[in-house]
Parts: sequence; C-alpha cells; structure tokens
Amino acid sequence: MKLATIGVGNAGSKVVDRMVEFESETNRNLCRHVHAINTARTDLAKPEYIPEEQRVLVGDTNQKSKGHGVGGDVEIGAEVMSADVDEIRRAFDDIEIHNVDAILVAAGLGGGTGSGGGPVVIDALQDMYDEPVYALGILPGEYEGGRPALNAARSLQSFVNKVDNFIGFDNDAWRAREQTIEEGYEKMNRELAARIVTLLAAGETDDSEVAENAMDSSDIIRTLATDGVSSIGYAATAVDAQPEGLLDRWGGGGGADEQSLNDASQATKIKSLVRRATNSRLTLPCEVSSAERVLVVVSGPPSEFSRKGIESARQWLEQEAGTVEILVGDDPRESSSRLAAAVLLSNVSDAPRIETLQNQAVDAQEQIAEQEAAREQKINDLITDENDDLDPVV
Amino acid sequence: MKLALVGVGGAGSRVVDAIRGVEADGDRQLCYGNLLTVDISRTIGDGFDHVPREQRVTIGDTHREVDDGVGGDQDLAVEIARDDFPEIQRALDSITMGKLDGVLVAAGLGGGTGSGAGAVLVERLQELYDKPVYVLGVLPGTDDGGRAALNAARSIRSIVPAADSTLLFDNDRWVGAGAESGGGTDDGQGVEDRYRRANRELADRVVTLFARGGLDPASIGANTLDSSDVVRTLSPGGVASVGYAEIELEDDGGILSWLRSLLPGGRDAGASEERTDAGKIQSLVRQALNSQLTLPCEVSSAERVLVVLSGPPEKLSRRGFESARQLLEAETGTVEVLAGDDPRPGSSTVAAVVLLSNVTEVPRIDSMQRRAVDHERADARLQAAEESE
Repeated sequence: MKLATIGVGNAGSKVVDRMVEFESETNRNLCRHVHAINTARTDLAKPEYIPEEQRVLVGDTNQKSKGHGVGGDVEIGAEVMSADVDEIRRAFDDIEIHNVDAILVAAGLGGGTGSGGGPVVIDALQDMYDEPVYALGILPGEYEGGRPALNAARSLQSFVNKVDNFIGFDNDAWRAREQTIEEGYEKMNRELAARIVTLLAAGETDDSEVAENAMDSSDIIRTLATDGVSSIGYAATAVDAQPEGLLDRWGGGGGADEQSLNDASQATKIKSLVRRATNSRLTLPCEVSSAERVLVVVSGPPSEFSRKGIESARQWLEQEAGTVEILVGDDPRESSSRLAAAVLLSNVSDAPRIETLQNQAVDAQEQIAEQEAAREQKINDLITDENDDLDPVV
Repeated sequence: MKLALVGVGGAGSRVVDAIRGVEADGDRQLCYGNLLTVDISRTIGDGFDHVPREQRVTIGDTHREVDDGVGGDQDLAVEIARDDFPEIQRALDSITMGKLDGVLVAAGLGGGTGSGAGAVLVERLQELYDKPVYVLGVLPGTDDGGRAALNAARSIRSIVPAADSTLLFDNDRWVGAGAESGGGTDDGQGVEDRYRRANRELADRVVTLFARGGLDPASIGANTLDSSDVVRTLSPGGVASVGYAEIELEDDGGILSWLRSLLPGGRDAGASEERTDAGKIQSLVRQALNSQLTLPCEVSSAERVLVVLSGPPEKLSRRGFESARQLLEAETGTVEVLAGDDPRPGSSTVAAVVLLSNVTEVPRIDSMQRRAVDHERADARLQAAEESE
C-alpha cells in the first residue's frame, strides 16, 4: 500500500518520524508523502526524518497560540486548526494523490493539538480526496491523569466518526518503566512504527517478486473498511531460527523426505508465528473474538513462505476470531533476515481500556465543572475579609 | 514566554531590577528589554543595577503632598496615578506589545505606591491591551505593621479580580521570621541583604517558570511546556503560588550504577536504583509543595497545576515523571495537571518548579485581613478622638 502520512501534534509527529525511520531501515516504501503539523514551534524542531519543508506550523498568528502550542486544551486545538484550515489545505495540495492508496493521520488524543486539531485535519482531507482516511490514535495512559483522559474520550468520538478506520494504541499497555522520559516514548513509538509499517507496506516491493499469496492494497483497504476501531498484533523471528521440529531435519536423510519435512516445519513456523502475533501485546488490548475482519501479513524472505502454513494460520484464526472474513497473505522481502507477522483486527468492539478511559473522563469532567462553578465565589471569599469591612482600593 | 515587566513603587521596581539581573546572568529571557518602573517621588530613586534611567518613570513629583513618596498613603497614590497616567502611558508606548505574550506588573502590596498605583495600573493595562496582565505581588510581613496589612488587604480586593492571575510572595516567609536567613544580623545591612536575597530568589523563580531557553534541540524535552501551557494554567485567575525545590546529584552516580550493572544480579541493583530515583523525584515535588511555596497555602485548594522537572535528561526517569504528576493530582485533588520536562544536559541538579493556580485557602491572607480590620478600626477611633478634642 502507498500512503500519505500526516502527524498532528507532538505525539503524532513523533510516530510518523519513527515510521519513516523504520521504512528506511527495512527498505520499505510506504510513506510516499509525509507531513508534520503542530501548533508548537519547539516540537516541530524535533523530528529527524521528516524533511524541514514538510513541517507545518499552524496558529502562529493566533492570539491563543502564537506558535507556542495550545496548552493541552482540546477546544483551543480545534479552534486554532480550524482558523488555519486554508493553510493546511494548501499544504495538502502537493500530495500526489494518484500516487497514494490511502491517507493516515497520526495523533495523540490526550493533548490539545492532536486531539482537537486532528479531526479538523481529517475533515479537510475527507473533503479534498476520495481515498480512505485512517487514523492512528494514541490513547493516554491512566497514569497521565484526568484531563488527558477527558480530551481523549471526547476526541475519540470525533476521530471514529470521521475516519474510515481508527487504529488504536494504548499508552497504558505499552508503558515501560525503567527508562528516562525520552527513551520511554521512543521505544513505544518504535514498536508502534514496526507494526503499522509491516502491516500497511505489504504489496509495495520494488523488485517484481511475485508472492504466492501476495497481499495488495485492495485487501488492506477492504479489511479496514469497517468504520470501526482496530488493533494490531505483531511477532517476528530470525529466519535461521528453527521451529520445534529441529531434530526431525537431521533424522530424515532422504531427499524427498527432507523436502517435505522442511515444508512441514516451515508451515508450523508460520502458523505459530501468526498465533504468537495474535496473542501478543496488541497495540490496543482487546477481545480478539470481537473483531469483524482480520488481515494477516507475513513478511520476510519468500524462501520461508509456506502455502500450507498460511492456510492453517487462516483456519486457526477463523476459530479464534469467530469470523470468516480473514485474509492471510505474504509480503516478500528478499533481503530481510526476519520473518514477521502483523495481524490487523478490524472493528473490535470489546476494548476494555476505552471503557476505563471513558469512566476516567466522566469523573474528570464532573470535577472540572464543580471547580468552575465554585471558582468566582471562592476567589471572592479569599480576597474579602470576614465581615466585608475593607473596601477595595480602586 | 515574553512578558513586558512593569515595576510599581520601590519594592516592585527592585523586583524588576532583580529579574533583569537574573536574565543578564543566564541564557533565559523574559522581557527582552521591554520593561518600565513607575514610582511616586520628588526625586528619581537610585540603587538600580539593570534598569536604565530612561525606563524609569517618576510621577507626582509636583504634587504638594509628595515628598520621598506617598508615605504609605495608598489613596493618595491612586489619585496621583490616575492624574498622571498620561506620563505612564507615554512610557508604555515604547513597549512593543505586539511581540509579547502579556504584561507582568510587580508591586509590593504593603506600600502606598505599590498597593494603590499598582491597582490603577492593572486596571488601565487591561483596558489598553488585549493580552493577559499578571501581577507579582509581595505581601508585607507581620513586622511591617498594621498599615501595611491594610494596604495589602484592600489592594488584593482590587488587583485579584482585575488581573488575569496574581502570583503572591509572602515576605514573612522570605525575609521575616520564617525565612532561612543565612545567619545575617538584624542591623540595617543585614535586613537589606535579606531583601536583596529574597528578591533574587523571587526573580529566579519567575524566570524559571515563565522564561524559556533558546531552540537548542538538546534542550527540548519529550513534553516541553510552552507559554500556552502557562497561560492555560493561570487562566482561572485568582491567586497563585509557586513552589521550587532542587537536589544536588552525586558526582559518581553514573559510574557507580554502571559498575553495579556489571556485577552478578546487576539488573536488580539497577531496578532498585530506578525506584529510588522515582522516590527522589516524589520527595522533591513534595518538598516544593510543603516548605518552599512563595505563598504558603492549602495545596488541595488549587484549581490547576503545572510542574516542570529540569535536570540532565539521563536522570529524568519516566517513572519519576509519572509519579510526580500522580502525586500532584492526589495532593491537589484536581485533574488539571500539566507536567513537562526540561532537559539540561550536563546539569548537576534536578529541580522541580510547581505552579499552583487559583489557590483559595491561604491562612496568611486571612490573618492579614484581620490585622487590617483591627488597624482600620484603631485608625477610626483615633480620628474620632482627635475630632472630639
């Protein structure tokens, strides 16, 4: 698949930066167009792989932002982005749309720019192009507090309503503790980038290697066309690693026998890899059985592929996910030293974190409203003496 | 954040001078030369190190009741500030507000000029500019007497509703009995030194909180807080208090932990060190909240909170950062907590600055108001007695 990829806000831009990094490290060619959009000049200086001219600062003439962000305020994020929507449209004008199959907007939902501005960007894109627009949305962790949860719960509704698919990433599930602040975010973003790129880059090889069960962009688009929330599982193994049947290889001896044993072990390897990916820590932890459609991309050197393995992986997933809408395909990477499986669970309806996030958000909203209602009175009580004997000086 | 600085009265002007001094010593800029001091006097005051003469406005110099100043009479200061406002306005015209994020008015609230002219100025600045007007107010200490308490108590009734937020500093805490006096004596020299130190400390906090360094990528954190974050945190208005604490890092920490990681079971050692690290940051934030607030207050009464952790990036652990945020959310009982990191490569300290916005339970203000009421009553009795004679 060929993608135009747009990062909105700090978190979104960082993920896009890591996606481009992963692509270039693995010789993939997914993001044909990248943009980083932000309201904070400081954060736009950070990306390493997004070219300078593809970074768009919005709201720098807006009184509420002036190039210094939106203070984690989702309303201001939306307002600032809307005010500069023409500038964004102009930036998107140079997307060579005939050269891309879909558009991906990456954003963190806990802050202000991504959560408030993201939906505005998506509206503009849906308006300008017929291609599907997907979101890669990062949900704040519970530990990040009530305000980010409220931003995210509100923003999630806008995102899901506007995009063709919302691929979720849960910071809670991926939080690594024993790290510095910077390393923690980088590691999470790298994990996410590996998953999304492995999945979506299927079918985009530069050589003309034709895979037996080649996956192409229309398969991916079909699986994503559920208007729902999705999650990705992933597992990878080194190609020289042997599956369970290691001893069998030495025991056989005969040419034809060895060949079939080899086939069998490759099939087992692929099936167990797909199983491992499905049961792995998902980008958004969810009930696998609640998925409406499933797509699996097996990526690696074609010599490792096995039609039998793919068939048995498909059968296993049919049982596991309880749906017949399952596509399993391969993505040949001749020079890769790893065999990887990325599993897309499309339109999962049972994701516990979304529920806890919503509960946290409702609590936060009530608390904020209470404080706002009492604000004037409390300030007045503070600055007035007990019997209101003292007059203001002016 | 870029703020124009306006110092009103002697104390306010010295605060502006101290802020300028902090700017001159470091790489952080707050006002970019946009500053002004306003005083009521017959003569132009001296003793400023960093405020050029042409940026010092003296008003009321022809007023018959004015001598060295208004003698603590805030109503007189209000009258003069209103009469002579055109002079202040001329000086304000030299400030290019278009490029700034707002104005910070510094005033001592115990004196007549700071408390009276300061209130007039905040009111006028709000009319003139479409940008936030913040106040940095210094509350008088108990030693400063009843008149000072009355001035301050009346002044905050005008200033707090008019300003976008009022950051208060309690002189009792900083200069008076409660201050950690570095062993200074109580003669004139000692007191002056303590004021100077207190102003320097105050200026340090203001610059740490509001001013940002340059756009050096190494100093941009994963969650860099920007001026919009400060504006949003202060936007409920009311009174704000700032806490600050820092810890010195041990020189050999890096090598020791590296050695430990080579030993058998090194992983465990690393993990437990990480835990102490998170614990350290928690106790740092607690210290900033409990003993080091510019205005001691009930932390749980704050409406919004902002915290910035600065230090060498390899020492700012993710866990420490998270636990600081969680601690603040628990202690203040608010979900509006913005947390940022401020990497300072090579720094030998880890510091936490905490902004508590709209704190509404402040025992110091209550006691000041009681003192003010007593003083006003005593004044009235005295006046009545004089009249009946």
